Parts: sequence; structure tokens; C-alpha cells
Amino acid sequence: MKAATLRTFQLVHTWTGVMAGFFLFVAFYAGALTVFHGDIATWQHPPWRSAASPVESRQSLIDRFLAVHPEARADFGLVLPPPGTAQPPYMYWPADGEEHFATADALERDTDAPTAGSLADFIYALHDSLGIPVVGLYLMGLVSMLYGLALVSGIVIHLPGLVKGLFALRPGHNLKRLWLDAHNVIGVLSLPFHMIFAVTGALMCLFTLVLALLNTVAFEGALPTMFAQAIATAPPREAAGEAAPMLPVDALLTRARAHALATGVDEFEPDYVHFSNYGDRHAVVEVRGLSQRTLATYGTVALDGQSGRVLQVHVGPAYSANGSINSSMYALHFGSFGGRAVQWMYFGLGLAGAFLFYSGNLLWVESRRKRRHRDQPRRTLWMGRATVGVCLGSCLGISAAFLATLLGEGRAWPLDTLQRAAAYGMFAVSCTYVSIRPLATAVRHLLLACSAMTALPALLDLARNAGPWVRNPWTGAHGAVLGVDLTGLLLALVFLWLARASARRAREGDPNSIWAGCETPDTAQHPSVHG
Amino acid sequence: MIGRCLAGVLLGFPLSAMTLALAMALSPARGAGWVIAALIAFFPLWTGVMAASYLFRSGARAWLVLGLANAAAFALLQGVRLSWSGP
Repeated sequence: MKAATLRTFQLVHTWTGVMAGFFLFVAFYAGALTVFHGDIATWQHPPWRSAASPVESRQSLIDRFLAVHPEARADFGLVLPPPGTAQPPYMYWPADGEEHFATADALERDTDAPTAGSLADFIYALHDSLGIPVVGLYLMGLVSMLYGLALVSGIVIHLPGLVKGLFALRPGHNLKRLWLDAHNVIGVLSLPFHMIFAVTGALMCLFTLVLALLNTVAFEGALPTMFAQAIATAPPREAAGEAAPMLPVDALLTRARAHALATGVDEFEPDYVHFSNYGDRHAVVEVRGLSQRTLATYGTVALDGQSGRVLQVHVGPAYSANGSINSSMYALHFGSFGGRAVQWMYFGLGLAGAFLFYSGNLLWVESRRKRRHRDQPRRTLWMGRATVGVCLGSCLGISAAFLATLLGEGRAWPLDTLQRAAAYGMFAVSCTYVSIRPLATAVRHLLLACSAMTALPALLDLARNAGPWVRNPWTGAHGAVLGVDLTGLLLALVFLWLARASARRAREGDPNSIWAGCETPDTAQHPSVHG
Repeated sequence: MIGRCLAGVLLGFPLSAMTLALAMALSPARGAGWVIAALIAFFPLWTGVMAASYLFRSGARAWLVLGLANAAAFALLQGVRLSWSGP
């Protein structure tokens, strides 16, 4: 390839990377935690802390819901909580082209946030849209496209030396070389993983928009119908207009599970039940559930509402090509196809991804460093500040949301407001702090703050759970909660180690850099001007 | 640089869309069996065109070549559709 072309791709890689990198750091750090979405939900609502009120049966919830919203009978769903948590299920129904939700404690009031206050869902919202409804989702869709372009251009520029230099990690005098090697080896080895995210991320965020555009540009209006048929999991059935008694929902769930297991998958955990024409002779019930150790993890069994006769099975090997590709797309994105081992692998790769974007920005700064001057250009100083402020601010903010959840549970303030205030507040504090203090000092302090903020909720949670854990027999929920706490402590140790490493770098590293400490007299007076 | 970038983004979208539509139109059941795969393939295809458009010598050339490719894809797609409604 010509040198000029390589330079063009280098430029594309740099700018797409820098533009998308900040957002991708948040998406990957929050995404690594989202791998353990169910465990974080259990951490917040473990069964041993919420057994006070008697649990309402699913059938009674449906009956109460239909008494309040009889018009929803034609098309509504029951969203089941993650297994192992003590949260109640909630209702979903579409009306007037909008999605409506209602929770068990207030069925007459529809809400757009049925899981408000759920920490796991808040972290998921940070992951997919920075917690900003609608606009945030489209923004992250654009970011995913820039990410795709950064991946392609990155491969092109590293292609000439790819095989030769893949495992070359060159520590020594030239630190930039080491960072570049680390960036390249992580980027190349986790490339399949990153390609999955660039594609599925863009698709999930921009789906509605792109489907509409594709439909107009190239499909003459036929695409929405084709898509609906491709993902349909039940045969189309008109209402008979004749009432008939329904099987109880728990019986339907049991039947669906038995039919799903008959296809050869080794488990089927229902997470959603959809009803069409409830109480009609032609009622259809679709039970969606999660199976592990198959790539098409989310499967659906459609049953007749009265007899429980199976109408269609879309589970594991019994899927159509369209259905299994659709389901595998989610499985590959969320790492939900292979039990704990794959979850930990996704967690590790997610954190490595966050490191990839962080190191990319460091390389941008390092390539523009003035080697013979104490004073560094303004733009590299501000890029360093922005990188540290945004990245550590995200870590600090997410840990603060854990703490807010733990301290705010059962108090007068709405929990979701507390979580948002803690996360965005800490993010703002981090960005402000890094702009007003000398960079090397700010980095050290923020890393120490991250360490403390991550360790604190874990320690408090361990302390309040110790009693029930000693008294009661050990279950899967105990393991999930302990896992969340120990992971928090481990991350706190990593932050502590990073704080020590950056303090050492500030003290002993090359003084001609934005990362150097400013103990020397000539810069100590104007730290924010000279860096 | 910006000319090639815009050509890739703006002309890459309809070109990728019509290429997929054409491939689906020519497959059995008009591609009904692989709609989801086609939707997933759309993004890598579009990104590929965006990246490839930096290989053009200038922005003007990128617009010219991608514009012609779009016109060709459109003509082919209309041709295939006309053959459906024919005898």
C-alpha cells in the first residue's frame, strides 16, 4: 500500500478513535459490569432481605391487571424478574403506538420506567445510552459506527507489521513504543470481540431509524413486514370472539419449559410471557426464556391459551435461520451463551476494551509530546485532562451509584434520583477536579477516590449480609452477591495499584511530560498554566 | 479528505442498501429466509464502503465512481423488479 494511503488511514484511525473513544470507555466499563446484570440485581434485592411482604402469585397479578386495563387483553405481557432476586414481575402493553408499563404496587398508573431504582438497569442505561433516553441511544449508535471505522482503519495501518509485531512488547527506554505495543496486541487479539460490538451496537442503537431508511431507499415499503415475519414466534391467529377459560400462567410456564427442554437445551429460564387475546378461545401465549450453552440463547415456545397445546417452538436447535441469527446477535453482544466462564471472559475483554480506548488517547498525547521542554502544548494537556476526567469520572460515578443504592434503599428519596445524582455528580466532580489541579496530583487523587468508592459499598454490603449468611444455608443468590462484593474489592485494589503506579511515574518518570509531578520550583507556581 | 469521507457516508448508505436489496431479490423467496442476516450485514457493508472511499485519489472521483455505482445498482434493482411483474 502507498505511504500516502497509509497516512490517510492513520488520520482516519486517530480521529474516529479520539471522537468515539470517550463514549466507548463508558460503554465498555459499564458494559463489563452489565455482563453480570442478573447478579447486580440480586446484590440489590437478595431474597433474604425482602421476604417481609407475602409474594403475590403471577396469576393474581394478571387478573388484577386485566381488571384495571380490560382493553389490553388483546396484546400484553408479563416481564419476569431475573431468577434469584426478590423483585416482583411487572406488566407491559402497547397502546396508541406507545409502550406502557405498570408495576404490581400501582397497576392503575402507567409508567415509562417500571424498573426505576434498579441499579442493574441504571448501569445498563449508562452502557447503551449514557443514561440519556432516546438521544443517548442514537448518539451511541453513531459512536458505534465511528468505532467500526476506527477498527477497519486500525487493521489497515497495522497490517504490514501485524504478524511480525503481534506479540512484541518492547519495554525499555521508549515508553510510547510499549504503550503502542500494548494497544496493538489488545486491539488485534480482541478484534473479533470488538467487531461483534461495532456491528451489534450500531444495529441495536440505530435499528428503528435504519429500518425505516432502508425500507424507503431500497425495499419499496416491504421491509417491516418481512422483518416482522422473520422474527415472529407464534402463528398469526384472529380472535374468535368467544370467551374460554385460560390455563393458569404457572401451568403454561411449566409446559413451555418442558417443550423447550425436549429440544435438547439443558435449561430454559422464562423471563417474559406474552399473551394475545387473553380469555378468548383463540388465545396464544408465548413464553420467552434463556437457555445456556446454545448460541441462540433466547428462545420462545408458543402455546394455545386453553389447552396448553404447543403451537410453535423456537428454541436452540428448533430455531429458523432468521430466529437463531437474531437470538445469537443478542447472545454474542451480552455474553449470555456459555454460563460463568463466558461471562468472566466478556468481563475481562470489556475491561481490556476500556483500556484500549484509554491507551489510544494516551498515544495521541504521547505522539505530540515535546521531548526537550518542560512545558507541553496546551492541547495535549487538555486531552490528558479530558481522558483522565472522563474515564476515571465514569468509574467513580458508577461506584458512587452502588453506594447510593446501598445507602438510599428504603428512604424517602426516590432511589433512581439518588443513583443519577451520585453517578453524574461524581463524574462532574472528577472533570472539574482534573481541570483545576495539577494533572499528576489529580490523577493520583482520583484513582485513590475510585479505589475507596469501589471498596466502600462492597465492605458495607459484606458487613450487613454477614449475619444472614452465617445463619442460613448457602444458595446461588449468596454466591452472586458475594461475587459482586469480591469483584468490587478486586477493582478497588486495581485502582490502588494504578494510583501508586502513577505517583511513581510523576516522581521518577521523564519530567518533560504532562504526566510529570510538579514539585520542581519553576512549575510549582503555575501548575495549571505549565502542566 | 472531507469530500471522500462524505461520499463514503452519503453514497455508501444507498449503495449498501441497494446491493443487499438486489442480493435478496435474486435469492429464493425474495430473501425472506435471511432478512435478519441482511440487516446485520448492512453495517459492515456500509462501513466497508466508507473505509474504501479513502482509497480514491480525490473527493470528486469518489463522488463520481460511487454515484455511478449507485445508478447501476438502482437500474439493476428496477430491472429485477420489472421482471417480477412481467409474464
